[in-house]
Amino acid sequence: MSDLVIETSGLRKEFRSRRGGLRVAVHDLDLAVPRGGVHGFLGPNGSGKTTTIRMLLGLARASKGRMEVFGHPIPSALPQVIDRIGAVVESPKFSPHFSGRQNLLLLARAIGVPRSRVDEAVETVGLTGRDKDRFKSYSLGMKQRLAIAATLLKDPDLLILDEPTNGLDPAGIREIRDTIRDLGERGVTVLLSSHILAEVQQVCTSATIIGNGRLLASGNVDELLRTGPSAVRVEVDDPAAARSALGGAGFAVVPPTAGETAILVESDAPSEVTRVLGEAGIWLSALTPIRRDLESVFLELTEADTLGHGPDAGPDAGPEARA
Amino acid sequence: MRSLLRVELTRLRWRRAILLLLVAVVAVPVVFGVAVALETVPPTASDRATAARQAEQEAEQPYVEDELANCQDSPQDYGVGDASDLEAACEEMIVPRPEWYLATQELDLVQQRDDTGLAVAAFISVLLLLAGATFAGHDWSSGSMSNQLLFETRRLRVWTAKALAVVLVSGLLSLVVLSGYWVALWSLARSRDLPSSNAILVDCLQDGARGALVAALAAFGGYALTMLFRSTVATVGVLLAVAVAGGALIAVLGIDAKYQPQTNLSAVVLDDATYNVEVPDECFMQAEPPEGLDCDEEKVLPARDGSIYLGSLVVLAGAASVLSFRRRDVP
Ligand SMILES: Nc1ncnc2c1ncn2[C@@H]1O[C@H](COP(=O)(O)OP(=O)(O)OP(=O)(O)O)[C@@H](O)[C@H]1O
Ligand SMILES: [Mg+2]
Repeated sequence: MSDLVIETSGLRKEFRSRRGGLRVAVHDLDLAVPRGGVHGFLGPNGSGKTTTIRMLLGLARASKGRMEVFGHPIPSALPQVIDRIGAVVESPKFSPHFSGRQNLLLLARAIGVPRSRVDEAVETVGLTGRDKDRFKSYSLGMKQRLAIAATLLKDPDLLILDEPTNGLDPAGIREIRDTIRDLGERGVTVLLSSHILAEVQQVCTSATIIGNGRLLASGNVDELLRTGPSAVRVEVDDPAAARSALGGAGFAVVPPTAGETAILVESDAPSEVTRVLGEAGIWLSALTPIRRDLESVFLELTEADTLGHGPDAGPDAGPEARA
Repeated sequence: MRSLLRVELTRLRWRRAILLLLVAVVAVPVVFGVAVALETVPPTASDRATAARQAEQEAEQPYVEDELANCQDSPQDYGVGDASDLEAACEEMIVPRPEWYLATQELDLVQQRDDTGLAVAAFISVLLLLAGATFAGHDWSSGSMSNQLLFETRRLRVWTAKALAVVLVSGLLSLVVLSGYWVALWSLARSRDLPSSNAILVDCLQDGARGALVAALAAFGGYALTMLFRSTVATVGVLLAVAVAGGALIAVLGIDAKYQPQTNLSAVVLDDATYNVEVPDECFMQAEPPEGLDCDEEKVLPARDGSIYLGSLVVLAGAASVLSFRRRDVP
């Protein structure tokens, strides 16, 4: 059995626009989500994340391409695997006139899950006490919690969460983050789409970044962070001298901001920087490697993409999780 | 499938808007029944005496004599041209009788079948059509359809379970309600010593059963169309437009009136229906219509033809609905 939980190749989705043209929401996307752990699914607004997820769940029909979940072809074998998939797609959609509990009960009965499971789920997401109120009287965060409770009815092996923390308060975000991390550690595979990259970086082991429906990068979070230039922050007594010495040795240097003595040097080899400065008789008072975060990687990739010269979607776009 | 059906029945039961419509389905025949009972209250002895006096007074008016003479002179004008006893026939036509002066009529079950029986069945059908449309429309307007499909992805099953729930509830409810209506009227007639044979009751109950069938089909139609249009408002709008524009179009284009929906509806409920057709002008040129020309302006539409008509509409709506639901993306 393959160790990919989700695999798509050449996945494409076209929407016919009102004016008769075609809008390609997903462009020949090759998605690979490894088993276990939390996989971030990132992309700017309108990049095709929700559309991809809807195709994987059988809610939308792919225009082209192949999809597999747990090694089963989608959508034909979806009925065999749906009991193992919990999903929240975009905003939570329940019947507004029913209580949260009634909504859960209807879903639970459809798959033959006992009532006690509903109680458990309600408690896990912290809705106890409000579960008998009508869904339409819930706050956004409570609706989101109910949606997560619904995914817990199944005891899933794969959780697909499309912006699950949208509308949650800080405590709620943290709870969900802990829940997600916990599930990931218990062997549940989580596909997490979110715009809060700091969140994603905290919980995700791997990630895929898409833009305009195309794959931009995919791989372990550590690998992704290593892509592109890194930098070191150098503190010296005489920044101007250090700048000219490093510039002479071919380093790109960002000058110090006013009142600062530190300069930024683009380099992934701090020892080289110390050697050049030492040879010039300049002694360091501090040297800090700057850690890139997911946000900067994301912005770099997707900014290039919106300008129209992003890396082509293809087997060699970015480090591949399959490698 | 069974658990899915149970889920849909529960969903129906928990929806207040649908419960209200179902309550109205029960209320309509009750209102009609009470109205019929009140309209047909037997006259008291003093009512009868008053009416008899009025009839007697009226009979003494001079115009009665004149009319009687006219009638005997030119019986054709009074529609009694071929009576054997001309004098008696004219008297029956013209001389005022006490029952003309009674405010209420006797409860006549045969008459009620054509009158309130058809009206009650039509009302119930419209209400249940709205219930079916509301039931499906809610899943779309709330967006909860996509959530349901994350738990049961086989769309044909989902569609069928919902359709079964709608048809079962509306069929059973209207059967109970319409049977109740007829049994109540029949018992009323019997308690007033009016014609109320078992055969009449059987006829009435058969009307009720056919009415329930139509009501269940209407509910199904409302459901199927809403699953197709994905909006209750759209369904109601389209049906109104079709009812108004379609009826007008059929009339304007001179298409045979047997294609009017309401003709077919009454044909199914009442076992047959009469409708009028235009006959060629030649029919009116001579006293006797020409040989071999169909000059009968009144035609009968049998229940079978009506069922085929309504059945095809329902099958068409159902097929379009299920195909669309299986293929189209769900928001
Ligand atoms: N039903 C639809 N009809 C037409 N176009 C659609 C439809 N659904 C999505 N699109 C288009 O497809 C593209 C991708 O949309 P999608 O919702 O997948 O983006 P997303 O990555 O989820 O964005 P966000 O981060 O804002 O949620 C957008 O350009 C959107 O306008
Ligand atoms: Mg989205």
